[in-house]
Amino acid sequence: MTTDAVVRITALGKSFDGRRVLDDVSLDVPRGRIVSVIGQSGGGKTTLLRCVNLLERPDSGTIEVAGETVHSDGRTVCRDLARLRRTVGMVFQRFHLFPHLTAVENVMLAQVKAGVPERTALERAVVLLRRVGLAHRGLAHPDQMSGGEQQRVAIARALALKPEVLLFDEPTSSLDPEATREVLRVMRELAREGMTMMLVTHELPFAREVSDWVAFVDGGRIIEAGPPADVLGRPQQARTRAFLTTYESTAVVGA
Amino acid sequence: MTTAAGLFQVPWSDYRSDLLDALLKTLSYTAVSFAGAALLGLAVALLRLSRVWPLRALAAVYTELFKNIPLLAIIFLTYFGLGSVDIRLDVFTAGCLSLIVFYSAYLSEIFRAAISGIHDGQTEAGEALGLSRLSVFGHVVFPQALRLALPGTNTMLVDLLKGTSLLVTISAAELMSEARLITSSTFRALEVYLVISALYFALCYPLSQLLLALERAIRAGKPLTPRRRRRLRTARALLAETPALAETPALADTPSPKEATA
Repeated sequence: MTTDAVVRITALGKSFDGRRVLDDVSLDVPRGRIVSVIGQSGGGKTTLLRCVNLLERPDSGTIEVAGETVHSDGRTVCRDLARLRRTVGMVFQRFHLFPHLTAVENVMLAQVKAGVPERTALERAVVLLRRVGLAHRGLAHPDQMSGGEQQRVAIARALALKPEVLLFDEPTSSLDPEATREVLRVMRELAREGMTMMLVTHELPFAREVSDWVAFVDGGRIIEAGPPADVLGRPQQARTRAFLTTYESTAVVGA
Repeated sequence: MTTAAGLFQVPWSDYRSDLLDALLKTLSYTAVSFAGAALLGLAVALLRLSRVWPLRALAAVYTELFKNIPLLAIIFLTYFGLGSVDIRLDVFTAGCLSLIVFYSAYLSEIFRAAISGIHDGQTEAGEALGLSRLSVFGHVVFPQALRLALPGTNTMLVDLLKGTSLLVTISAAELMSEARLITSSTFRALEVYLVISALYFALCYPLSQLLLALERAIRAGKPLTPRRRRRLRTARALLAETPALAETPALADTPSPKEATA
């Protein structure tokens, strides 16, 4: 109650068709901090992230966002889902920009629907595009942009409603190394400005660089969590060590 | 006397105003029926995508039923059939109703395929931005589905226009009925039906070309409404401005970083 965790996840559980994908997961994302969730694909990382803005509904446990309980024991207690989702911005692995709209309209849409006057929304969209270095692409449609550009527009779109926390779901997993660098540069900038972020990623060097806290998730459970220097540098658990070893042996080229 | 001169002997100037009325009638049948069929088709498509299975089943039965009955049979059923059990519809209502029922079955299939062709990620992205279900449909799914549905829908519109000719069987006073009237008073079937065919062609060909142009404009992302045109024009002007220095640190309400992103 006294700590200002923007996201507080307590004892979360979730099954898909009898398969346990989240098992007693607890995690806090304090204001102004960056929490990274790492682990193998299929380990429950993405499901955990998607529970925060209720794109996925957990079966048990509690989720609090900005001091308000939004989901508890399998029941959505959040009265205003739209407001929750404006508090929580999300960036997807596959960008999911709206292909029928230009970049600037992608960034505007949610604002206009939230009641921001058209002109203000447009001005803010332009400012945000400038911030991600894409003012010159503002009138392009997504299919005319590179993956890196699309993901940067998606970040601008997620920021448009001034969220209190940003969720990133493997934001660079479908990008080439150059585009990955572009996107990470924008994220680093956000980190420096004090944006609260929860990040699911395979970019371990990046996670180590920007995170205040890293959680290693495997088989739906948090195996190990702590400052990045500990979890990534001196892992205590055998499973964490095994994961990091596999990662190092497969990620030589990307480094 | 040449063949061509021999072929055209009907005093067409006498029929000019009748033909014009008939042409307008054909267009009214087309406009009213297409609007109705598109609305009903969309409703049926949404029912078929519903999470509630009885609704899905109902929509499927509707679609399969009317897709597999000839249009002519539907016309006879609504006009003569219903008439025989004392549900007497006037010709215009019966005609439009038949066309709506028949074409909505086809349109619902086109719309359903288009809507389910939109990636779930689009809906999720909309939801994640706090859009209501209605906004997600109206601003995210529908405009994209429309693009996918347009070619098939356009074919159906032209087909519907030609389909109005079947209403000759209930004397609907449209082009084909007028043709039959002129034929019976002049006995010049070849000439009359050639002229009427030319009239149908003159309606359908520009219509389908227009619809193709519309498809291309939408695919190219051209703004079609004055509102969007205005918005994009303002956006262009704002994007071209050199950013004022005070504008730069707008991401979070924190001080500006030393260097800007490249």
